[in-house]
Amino acid sequence: MNQRHIHPAEAELYVLGEMEPEAAAALEAHTLECAPCAAVLQREALLEEQLREVAQATVPEPQPQVLRPARWSRPARAAVGVLLAAAAAVALVLLRPEQADPSPPQNDFPILALPESLPEEPLRLVACPDLSSQEACAAQAFARGLMVQYPQGVGEVPRYDGHAGLPPGVLEADGPYSL
Amino acid sequence: MGAALVQPLRIAVRQEEESARSRGGGREDEAELAQRALEGDRTAWDALIARYHHRVVVSLLARGVRVDRAHELAQETWARLVQQQQKGLLRELRLPSLAITQAAYLAADEARRQRREALAGSVEELPEAHHPVDPSASAERRLLSEEQLSRAQATLSQCSTSARRIFLLACDGQELPHAEVAARVGLSVQRVRQILCEVRKKLRSALEEEAAP
Repeated sequence: MNQRHIHPAEAELYVLGEMEPEAAAALEAHTLECAPCAAVLQREALLEEQLREVAQATVPEPQPQVLRPARWSRPARAAVGVLLAAAAAVALVLLRPEQADPSPPQNDFPILALPESLPEEPLRLVACPDLSSQEACAAQAFARGLMVQYPQGVGEVPRYDGHAGLPPGVLEADGPYSL
Repeated sequence: MGAALVQPLRIAVRQEEESARSRGGGREDEAELAQRALEGDRTAWDALIARYHHRVVVSLLARGVRVDRAHELAQETWARLVQQQQKGLLRELRLPSLAITQAAYLAADEARRQRREALAGSVEELPEAHHPVDPSASAERRLLSEEQLSRAQATLSQCSTSARRIFLLACDGQELPHAEVAARVGLSVQRVRQILCEVRKKLRSALEEEAAP
């Protein structure tokens, strides 16, 4: 029986799994017979679990990166973009030669014309969580060009403010208000 | 009984862990291993168990389970997961969190069973006969209070960016070995361990600090 009490540093090594198997077995055997040492081990294990909870609750910040358009880091997409742009140019020249513009093309970044190369901003998402009205809600949102996520959407519900044709501030004005 | 019984398994587990660690890196096979385990591949299960058994045991120790019982419960956890897979009940295998949750459930179940058995005896013997039971202090409780979490996060935000990144990589539940963390941040394993040790020390004092009055 190992009579020596456990040092917190040993308990930490054990918890981290960095102890030699024999030493770990001795430590375990000791904690079975020594309540204070079992408490030391539990405290270390609890700390380890708490650290993991902290790590999981913490959102990692984005990696610092060289500032450049995201699309440049995607050779495949860029290649597709270049091919499409070239095809479009050829089609333009072939189909409408009389209207071909002699001036140099304005689009320095032809890839911008592709929908998948849009800047990576979050889409404008709205939610239509009300089951009874979500069809109408979705139809209205589509009409306004918004992306709809339902039924349990996370976006904001689109607002359809009434518009009376009055300038802002009229209703709150104290005195007469010139329209 | 427990300690002697689980010893051979544990040593085997450790050896597997060591070999997994010495492979240095190799997390790419994680998804593949999980997939093979879901298909019932015994060696894949063995590798996953070897990798995460200690982690499950530590999570049980943190909940106050004795070390011999923790090993037994961890083994029961794996047995249940394999059983669920064989019955086709497992759709995805997210380890170690799935195993830790299952183990916590088993531990809570055992604690309840022990209380029921105690109830068969004298009511006076129940711990709550002398102290009212805090319903939040069940075996399923979260291990961290809100104040502790915010204190720890404040401490973490004072660490350097690279130290924070290393800590998050090492502790966010993916169980990246230190060699893999070192490869990702471009530092030596020794340096990564040093930084982790410093961050842990700071967080430990933040977590153990008494709540501000």
